[in-house]
Amino acid sequence: MLSSKNLLDPSQRLRRMRPEHRSVSTRAIKTADKADVQAGPGVDGPKKQGAKKSDNKIAQSASSPEEIRDIRLKKAESLRAQGQEPYAYGFDRTHFTKNLQDLYVSLANGAEDETGAVVAVAGRVVAKRVMGKLAFLSLRDDKGQIQLYVDRNRLDEAQPEGFNTVKGLVDVGDVVGCSGTIKRTEKGELSVVATELKVLTKSLLPLPDKWHGLSDVEKRYRQRYLDLIMTAEVRDTFRARSRIVSTLRRQLEDRGFIEVETPVLESIAGGADARPFRTFHNSLGRDLTLRIATELHLKRLVVGGFERVFELGRVFRNEGLSSRHNPEFTSVEIYQAYADYNDMMSLTEDLIRACAQEVRGSQQVSYQGVSIDFSQPFRRVTMAELVRESTGIDFEAAMASARRTADSGAGASAALEETRAAAEAVLMAHPDKDVRKCTAKVRSAPSLGHLLNEMFEAVGEAGLVQPTFVLEHPVEISPLAKLHRSKPGVTERFELFIYGREHANAFSELTDPVDQRARFEEQVARHNSVFQEKQKAKLEAKAAGQDVPSQDEEDEYEVALDTDFITALEYGMPPTGGLGIGVDRLVMLLTDSPSIRDVIAFPTMN
Amino acid sequence: MRHALQLWITGLGLIVKRFALHESHFSAAAVRPACTAWQSALSHSECWRRHISRMVTTEYVLPEQWSEDLKDENGEPMSKSEFKRRQKAQRVAAEKAEKEAAKAAAAAAAPPKPAKEDGPALEDDSNEITDPTAYFENRVRYINAKKAKGVNPYPHKFHVSMSLPDYIAKYGSLEPGQQETETTVSVAGRIFSKRASGSKLLFYDLKADGVKIQIMADARNSELSLEAFTAVHNECKRGDIVGVEGFPGKSKKGELSIFPRKFMLLSPCLHMPPSAHFGLKDQETRYRQRYLDLIVNSDVRNIFHTRSRIIQFVRRFLDTRGFLEVETPMMNMIPGGAAARPFITHHNDLDMKLYMRIAPELFLKMLVIGGLERVYEIGRQFRNEGIDLTHNPEFTTCEFYQAYADYKDLLDMTETMISQMVLEIKGSYKIQYHPEGPEKPAIEIDFTPPWRRISMVSGLEECLDIKLPTDLESEEARQLLVELCIKHNVNCPPPQTTARLLDKLVGEFLEEQCVNPTFICDHPQLMSPLAKWHRELPGMTERFELFVNKREVCNAYTELNDPIKQRELFQDQAKAKSAGDDEAMFIDENFCTALEYGLPPTGGWGLGVDRMTMLLTDTCNIKEVLLFPAMKPEEAVSKKEGDS
Repeated sequence: MLSSKNLLDPSQRLRRMRPEHRSVSTRAIKTADKADVQAGPGVDGPKKQGAKKSDNKIAQSASSPEEIRDIRLKKAESLRAQGQEPYAYGFDRTHFTKNLQDLYVSLANGAEDETGAVVAVAGRVVAKRVMGKLAFLSLRDDKGQIQLYVDRNRLDEAQPEGFNTVKGLVDVGDVVGCSGTIKRTEKGELSVVATELKVLTKSLLPLPDKWHGLSDVEKRYRQRYLDLIMTAEVRDTFRARSRIVSTLRRQLEDRGFIEVETPVLESIAGGADARPFRTFHNSLGRDLTLRIATELHLKRLVVGGFERVFELGRVFRNEGLSSRHNPEFTSVEIYQAYADYNDMMSLTEDLIRACAQEVRGSQQVSYQGVSIDFSQPFRRVTMAELVRESTGIDFEAAMASARRTADSGAGASAALEETRAAAEAVLMAHPDKDVRKCTAKVRSAPSLGHLLNEMFEAVGEAGLVQPTFVLEHPVEISPLAKLHRSKPGVTERFELFIYGREHANAFSELTDPVDQRARFEEQVARHNSVFQEKQKAKLEAKAAGQDVPSQDEEDEYEVALDTDFITALEYGMPPTGGLGIGVDRLVMLLTDSPSIRDVIAFPTMN
Repeated sequence: MRHALQLWITGLGLIVKRFALHESHFSAAAVRPACTAWQSALSHSECWRRHISRMVTTEYVLPEQWSEDLKDENGEPMSKSEFKRRQKAQRVAAEKAEKEAAKAAAAAAAPPKPAKEDGPALEDDSNEITDPTAYFENRVRYINAKKAKGVNPYPHKFHVSMSLPDYIAKYGSLEPGQQETETTVSVAGRIFSKRASGSKLLFYDLKADGVKIQIMADARNSELSLEAFTAVHNECKRGDIVGVEGFPGKSKKGELSIFPRKFMLLSPCLHMPPSAHFGLKDQETRYRQRYLDLIVNSDVRNIFHTRSRIIQFVRRFLDTRGFLEVETPMMNMIPGGAAARPFITHHNDLDMKLYMRIAPELFLKMLVIGGLERVYEIGRQFRNEGIDLTHNPEFTTCEFYQAYADYKDLLDMTETMISQMVLEIKGSYKIQYHPEGPEKPAIEIDFTPPWRRISMVSGLEECLDIKLPTDLESEEARQLLVELCIKHNVNCPPPQTTARLLDKLVGEFLEEQCVNPTFICDHPQLMSPLAKWHRELPGMTERFELFVNKREVCNAYTELNDPIKQRELFQDQAKAKSAGDDEAMFIDENFCTALEYGLPPTGGWGLGVDRMTMLLTDTCNIKEVLLFPAMKPEEAVSKKEGDS
């Protein structure tokens, strides 16, 4: 049996249909088998042979979707006229097709099931051929596929006029229910020999002609249901997604974590640096934002005594779309009291390995043609080391020098400016245009920490193909992470990079409320001063009579300080390790999907 | 001003006690941290206002009973809620004063502790600073002093070798006085009380994971000198998070304890914790500062464990039946799948208006069309509605869809799922429930299957002893319903559509009967635009709602999969919307197109997770089962109180 990969397109199907007045003979059945194997779903690309005209009394070929819709509406009426509801209420299925394939795996070619057991299957007709007194339908359900072998004599005996109904009123795309006995054809196709065949849902629109290589790839996302009907890989991806999510849950629950739900609608969006969505609650008369992270609420729960909590759910960021970004995405955030970032690294490795094992059955997975190996301990390297490796710039030395000058009372900016100059030189000389573009951000970096991060993003990230923990981010860009226990200026933090993408972010959580308040205030002040400067510049430009794009005003947003979170910390939070994993990206990685849109059932579309 | 008030208070004997609680707020008024004081539900300005007003008429005494014409010290009318608040404050203050008096008496009666010659004595809860602001400032000074000395008051890591529940399981059976000095265990948690006994011994209550053990810190077991031992323990206060490494054993009295060799303060609690005696009862504070609620009220924790178990049960039930858990969008161009007012937001980059979802129904059905025959989603829905005992703007549902099933299958499945869930979580089909709160009488709810099934329209006809017209869509039918509402004094605010009138009557006469789990079935089509017409009852649909304790818990139907019919019903909704019913459904053209590709016969089902949790945790306010319920802004609350 060919693997089911792709559906037939209807035009091919029509061409393959046989003239109706063909005598039934063993030979004919054999031919049918042969044709069936060739024509069965799972064949990519057009088939050249067997092109004949349609046997349908109500012509289908060369019709527009609207015409086909009208024809099929008439067929639905015909079914009603026969006393058969074209939108049935249910169907008692005895087996999934996969069960039957397993159950009768040893049934010999050409043999019938001797017990004569009657089975009932239901699903969508994905291919149909009529040959005289025989019709062959391919039926697909949730778990697999089977052939319906419709013999006029057998069917009409139990269901008068049944064969004509199948011939004339059942189309590819319809959902049908079929009862019958089991046989395997000479060609080895396991089949249900129909003694009853009913339309359960009459489809009105034809399945698309061409799906693979569709020029409008957006259509796949806009009409995901068609994508699912037409493409086995898409169905597999979403099944894998479900298994990954459920593996994450099981792993965490086995470790004593409790799953909780914290608000999506909040008065202050915190826990990350991102532009939030805003909305308005009518009866409270109050602006709300959609959460951009679950961090601050989960940490409150750790304060409250839930020592191991996680939340797997949606977060929202009001940002542009890309192959790695959807405005709503799924993350799992995990907090464990009395753990630190080292523990979180082990946990990350365990979780990712468990998921890889579950959906790929291996610790070596291929992603976009590159082999990724999870079996070895993931590489651990500090951010400063990575940047030194690729640029020769020694940020540790620069930071030490900045501290010395700061201690001596001299300006700390000498080290910053010196390093900035070196960084700019490296970027400007870089062969990659996109890397050179990063110079602007390097120029405006307000601190050595920011500068280090910009350099890492410009030259460090992309090369991290195998799983790598990048450690010890500067404190300036890590407002929720604890200062490193022995190294000044950096935090106990890591990000996991695989295939050049960030997959996880974790820290020893900052538990000191005094430090936390200072860092928040600094962050808020910096953010809002930039915001206000831009606002001011805009006003001045307006005053000067220049055009100001109105869109720009929404580009900026103010942030506020979550004082209640600091109050919670003041009540004492145990030393805690926290970890966030992007679920969508993990699914991309483990299902070999190039775009985030391939792993979100209904991605946001323009 | 502050001195004046204190003088005034000091001069007032009894009233001092009565307002002792406020006094502490008042003195803290200029300082930020007081807003987080344990019992505080008031803003500073509000405290100011009250105190100043009280200064004017010092002889004001709260009467025993509230009455309509009750006036406060300024001669302003006093609301009932303000009266109750004051009454409570008065009671709390009196209890506190009583306790302090008892303590003072006990201290006076007890022989004085022998003075230590070698350094300071061990401190415990009895010499705690009582002023919350001074307390906070003192502790901030303490951590700053540590930092100045180069010591991190927030250590990065403490290795915990055993959780407290495991510790209790393992060592709970030791004999009184037995000690396993060769064993080393490390545990951690929060300190709930601290008692010194002499100069070398301290008892702490340590809590974690909802359980408690004792720490018996004896200087003789410590690795430290007595001086260092005293210093370490004098730094530790009630509310602090500590780590302990030591050996297990029981005290002579039989209390399971850990005997520390090492004792480490991991995270100081900067605020004065609530006293063990008074706890934290104020609802506003409990919801707003849920972390405090969880620390103090150990049963709250159980509510969220039960909630988690309910969700786990549903997942397991569906997973074992071959369902696939999926995620569908929370932000859409069109809010479909239910009739409710949506939240609106805006995507900047796309410059696009988006709605928060009100139900995942239409997306899940599209996945069934796509061939995922059994799908479910557990997740948040959003409705832009008022907040009350059973409504929060965001809430959690489970919806599942099963191809080839109909509502009869789902009736059976619902009975099985919910009754098994109740049995597993509560240990019995019968549960005790307090519909009006813990103070009021309990009722028994019996989940033993099978459950009663009422067909909606015939049930209503029987109940009201009437006959409704066969054509419910007719104006005649609507008029009859209007009259019935008037006759039975049922209020139906406009627009008085047939669907809304019926809904009100059903609410009044059928739902009221549904204390034990009851299915109300076969809703008219005009109330159910996404459900399939009934195969036997004309004008009705194959739908049911499950009611328990008179509240809807589940809603399910044979899904309407005839695209032509669906479009017609959407058109009717559009008409209702333009007629002023702003809860009528939006039309989703994409969904209609999807239906034209063929949705198999499908049964669809929804469960309100929050309401189910309320039933199984015996709570009657949805806020009790949400970790962080939506609250009015604090300014608005204090303003409202100020107005009253």
